[in-house]
Amino acid sequence: MSRDYERLLEVIKSPERLSVLSETEWDDVLVAARQARLSGRVVAEVARQGIEDRAPAWLRDRLSGTRAFAGECERSVRWEINRISRAFLTLPHRWVLLKGAAYVAADLPPARGRLVADVDVLVPHEGLKDAESALTEHGWAFVAIEDYDDRYYREWMHELPPMAHSRRGAVIDLHHAILPRTSRITPDTRILLERAVRAGDAFVLCPTHMVLHAAVHLFHDGEIAGALRDLVDLDALLRHFGQDPAFWTTLAKDARELGVGRPLYYSLRYTHRVLGTPIPGSMDAAMKEWAPPAPVRALMDVLVGNTLGRGEGASARFSAIALYVRSHWLRMPPLMLMRHLTRKFVMRKGA
Amino acid sequence: MIVRDLSAAQLRTALTGDGLRMQIGPFVVRLRSTFSSVRDYIASHYAFFPVVESPGLHFTAEVRRTGFWRTLVRPQATFGADSRFPFTPLPARLAPGLLEWGLNWCVGRLPHPWLLLHSAVIERGGRAALLPAPPGSGKSTLCAALAFSGWRLLSDEFAIVDPQSGDVVPIPRPIALKRQSIDVMRVRVPDINLGPALEDNEGNPARYVAPPSSAVERLHERARPAWVVVPKWQAGSATILEPDSRARTLFHLADSSFNLNTHGKAGFTLLADLVDEASCYKLTYSNLDEALAVFDRLARGEVIHPEGANAS
Repeated sequence: MSRDYERLLEVIKSPERLSVLSETEWDDVLVAARQARLSGRVVAEVARQGIEDRAPAWLRDRLSGTRAFAGECERSVRWEINRISRAFLTLPHRWVLLKGAAYVAADLPPARGRLVADVDVLVPHEGLKDAESALTEHGWAFVAIEDYDDRYYREWMHELPPMAHSRRGAVIDLHHAILPRTSRITPDTRILLERAVRAGDAFVLCPTHMVLHAAVHLFHDGEIAGALRDLVDLDALLRHFGQDPAFWTTLAKDARELGVGRPLYYSLRYTHRVLGTPIPGSMDAAMKEWAPPAPVRALMDVLVGNTLGRGEGASARFSAIALYVRSHWLRMPPLMLMRHLTRKFVMRKGA
Repeated sequence: MIVRDLSAAQLRTALTGDGLRMQIGPFVVRLRSTFSSVRDYIASHYAFFPVVESPGLHFTAEVRRTGFWRTLVRPQATFGADSRFPFTPLPARLAPGLLEWGLNWCVGRLPHPWLLLHSAVIERGGRAALLPAPPGSGKSTLCAALAFSGWRLLSDEFAIVDPQSGDVVPIPRPIALKRQSIDVMRVRVPDINLGPALEDNEGNPARYVAPPSSAVERLHERARPAWVVVPKWQAGSATILEPDSRARTLFHLADSSFNLNTHGKAGFTLLADLVDEASCYKLTYSNLDEALAVFDRLARGEVIHPEGANAS
């Protein structure tokens, strides 16, 4: 059953379309939304427009079930932040919430209807040991993984293997950087921590860094496959922060400082192309500076278009694989990459 | 229209094509499968379930083959829920079982507005008895015995509680029996429809009992929760019905819930109200007939709970 995200994209771009969907179209949208991890977002939009009462019973069931689940995720993220604050009370270093947990803590638009309860935290590299032992003392433990994976995380990656709380099961990812140590670009974590801003009991990245992190996560580190959700988050952040003209100037400046112009270029290009995110003309010069050579850009257009636009199907799968390899290419030197992928392949066959 | 009204060809076309849309409890489910064993199983065990013709559905469930080569060598079956495949594929001979296990996953794991408890439920006179118990406690055997001796089967696996009314919503799917229970039921109900021989994930023999048609015909009749009875089969034990406190039962039910957290405070209140309205017991037994007699006494109001009945 191959489905594409076309109709889902339509209603994300023009939410008012939700009120005129037929029952069959609703099913398509909800299934695509679930695959794209965007069903919470759709439900939040339905609630905002107040159209649930007019929906047939089966649809109300699905909408209210998903809304309850999104509510549970938000409650548990807030509770996890509370518990982590308590565990980190005596930590000598600053710690900063990343991604979903940060959006929830700072009440930002992408927090609406998120269906994940994992928490990502950034600490300085030298503070990793303290943070790890504070979590261990308070009931978190590493999720059982193979020795190879553990070494992969600790030696090459920018985060520790995931830790789960022994009673609540909630997962925390402890990062010491926003990109792997082996990556082509390694933005300085100290700058990110220094400029972090308060959100309730915790700290989150400042607006420009938050956008840049989302950009590198999506276009440098992540696999892009199924990343429509991340693109929608980026769109929401850009629309929210972008109302302040000063934001864009700082964004360009900070992208240069951290050396992440290329991923930002892709982010602005594809949020604009796929979701119509308004990008001011003042960014044109910077965009030219960061653009890849034309053939690379053309290839990325095709790959990203296929991966984001379609949930399944052969071309989407091929593009997803190509982008997976690309993300690893950027993540580690070629020889290391070959060793890693061979190892992963052998392990999977053996499983 | 019910599944039995479809010709073999119609059923096949629906299952291999756009899907057979069926009312299973409160869910409209679209079923698809290319396996003839699954088709036969649906024809036999879901014969009296309504076929839905109006648009709309809660989820799509499918049992399909994995890859082309696997159709030739050691064929496998895999379960899909809304185009996701959450399980490791199983040998093709277990395809009908995979349908049931997959449906359990869909009911228990997908987001729904109902409160879901892991419990068998049976009803008499509009009043429901919940039998929450872990696997191995004899819950399904007791439930099957009750379902064929005067009680209406609401569910073997899930108590589905409506958050508005607090009623239990029927989902009278086939009952899972394992090991010795299969023969026990074969002796008790000679014309029982046991379905194909399957095995559970530990390799024990497992079979699914087709639900009594009378239970499926009353699919839309909800019931008030009146009793919570935690059963425990223990070899050689006398039949002991012990009153249990509402407080302890509340915790027991909370533990057995699939999605209490999802419903937050409202879910907790709903569960507390359910326990408040019910009389709560623990039942230890080894003799099935004596256990059934206990339920008859409960239904006739011959057992007085020391905490009194809050329900009027």
